[in-house]
Amino acid sequence: MSSSGSDGRRGGRRARHSGEAFWWALFSAGGVMAALFVPAFVVVTGVLLPAGDPAVAAARAEAFGQAVGWWPVKIALLGVIVLSLFHCAHRIRHTLMDFGLRRYSGLLKVPCYGGALAASLWAALVLRGNTGLV
Amino acid sequence: MSQGGYRRPHRWAWWMERPGYMRFMIRELTSFFMAGYLVVFLVTLSRVGAGDAAFAEWVGALSRPGWVAAHVVALLAAVWHAITFFGAVPQAMPIFLGEKRLSAPIAMIVMGYGPWLTVSAVVVWWMLR
Amino acid sequence: MSKERASASAGRVGSGEQVAGSPVATDERTITLELFRYHPETDAEPRFQSYEVPYNEDWVVLDAINWIKDHVDGTVTHRWSCRMGVCGSCGMMVNGEPVLTCAAFLKSYFPFAVRVEPLVNFPVERDLVVSMDGFMDKLEAVKPYMIRDDVNDTSGGEFRQSPAELAKYKQFSMCINCMLCYAACPVVGHEEGFLGPAALALGHRYNKDSRDHGRSERMDVMLSDEAMWGCTFVGECSVVCPKHVDPAGAIQQAKAMGAQEYFKAFVMPKGAGA
Ligand code: SF4
Ligand code: FES
Repeated sequence: MSSSGSDGRRGGRRARHSGEAFWWALFSAGGVMAALFVPAFVVVTGVLLPAGDPAVAAARAEAFGQAVGWWPVKIALLGVIVLSLFHCAHRIRHTLMDFGLRRYSGLLKVPCYGGALAASLWAALVLRGNTGLV
Repeated sequence: MSQGGYRRPHRWAWWMERPGYMRFMIRELTSFFMAGYLVVFLVTLSRVGAGDAAFAEWVGALSRPGWVAAHVVALLAAVWHAITFFGAVPQAMPIFLGEKRLSAPIAMIVMGYGPWLTVSAVVVWWMLR
Repeated sequence: MSKERASASAGRVGSGEQVAGSPVATDERTITLELFRYHPETDAEPRFQSYEVPYNEDWVVLDAINWIKDHVDGTVTHRWSCRMGVCGSCGMMVNGEPVLTCAAFLKSYFPFAVRVEPLVNFPVERDLVVSMDGFMDKLEAVKPYMIRDDVNDTSGGEFRQSPAELAKYKQFSMCINCMLCYAACPVVGHEEGFLGPAALALGHRYNKDSRDHGRSERMDVMLSDEAMWGCTFVGECSVVCPKHVDPAGAIQQAKAMGAQEYFKAFVMPKGAGA
């Protein structure tokens, strides 16, 4: 009697059906990872690696190769990349919804999360040392 | 629940109506650029494993103006993502010390900019040392 | 400049004679108000109607609309009550911006015309009045009341709360249901099932209340796909809110809480813990 409340409000639980909670959690965690790491990644691979005269570039290239070759770094990289991918996928999906594709919110999961999943698998292969895909 | 009355037409160009909507749109678009960058980043990582010659060739390609420009855009997008993401921290994760709420700037520094700078410095140092 | 001051003081003298709902004009200058008009029994489509209104620096947009209704056109229909920003009934779009018309001074628009429309994202019932039905349903959906496991048991006295516990939700309890945030939210306009800023902030207010036991019940509603996950943190709801409720912040917090509940349900299947 006491636990059901006086007017039965506790009865008739509505079924929870929120895959959205799951995707949002990935989005959120990925947002943190992307914010912390991606700017630095871009600076390293997009600016510092290719910049400078050949000698400097060669030294940097070697350092980069060794730095990302250590297995704990590979695992960390995989985590950061996968979460960041799902962050982007979720945001892209919701942006498309906000811009008029809301009625396809379910359908949009396929290219968005599917794409993130495919890229994640690729990342796992790449970091395992399997480079045959590119 | 009667929802009668006149319904105004949908505003498809809603995102142009307020400066705040435009800022929102720019923030959301960072995800497209970051997704693109992550794919390029994976190519870079895969080239590392493909041997010194393959990697040197790829790095050489990255130094061409088109790729440099693309990376500048990606950098702006990633930095803007970080700024807007950490900017939301005080709203999304309020911290209370008793009755007092940690002020927004301090929350942003402690939970955003501080870790961001630290992580960035470590990443750049580790990857190019 | 001196003329401005003169008219301002004239306004103050004049304001002594003002009666609620029937302000007295005290300035020769005028300002144009373009009102959104729609009478369902005669109009198939809405139209705009212009009115010349005496300009008074002390007037707010609501004063000007009241003046029109009292002196020019009694058919103009609008909502208002307190004239002091606490009842939440006078929200309208003024030059495209959702505002409390009792807090929007003509001064900030003069000498340009002021265009007044009913709040967007709501069906229009008549002129400047929107239908609140959907909004009320959404407020009700989040069970905005204290839910206790021991609701009948007050033998222990009142349910106490420390100032620190109060601080956790106080901001979210300041809402006056003016619906400005719904007019500022693009997701409200596109997604019927989205509960919207004020309702979600209110639900979160109770979820954060140390005296409440209803979080799980509310989460049953808030965890459904449409209820809150459509929010993309545009954030304009918090910009337009006249009471600094920060519904955008509340929703992000509610999402984090919802995600926790979601994962907890895996560890502790439904019913087992309740
Ligand atoms: S949250 Fe703010 S804007 Fe929204 S209804 Fe409440 S007081 Fe008005
Ligand atoms: S008339 Fe009450 S809030 Fe404006």
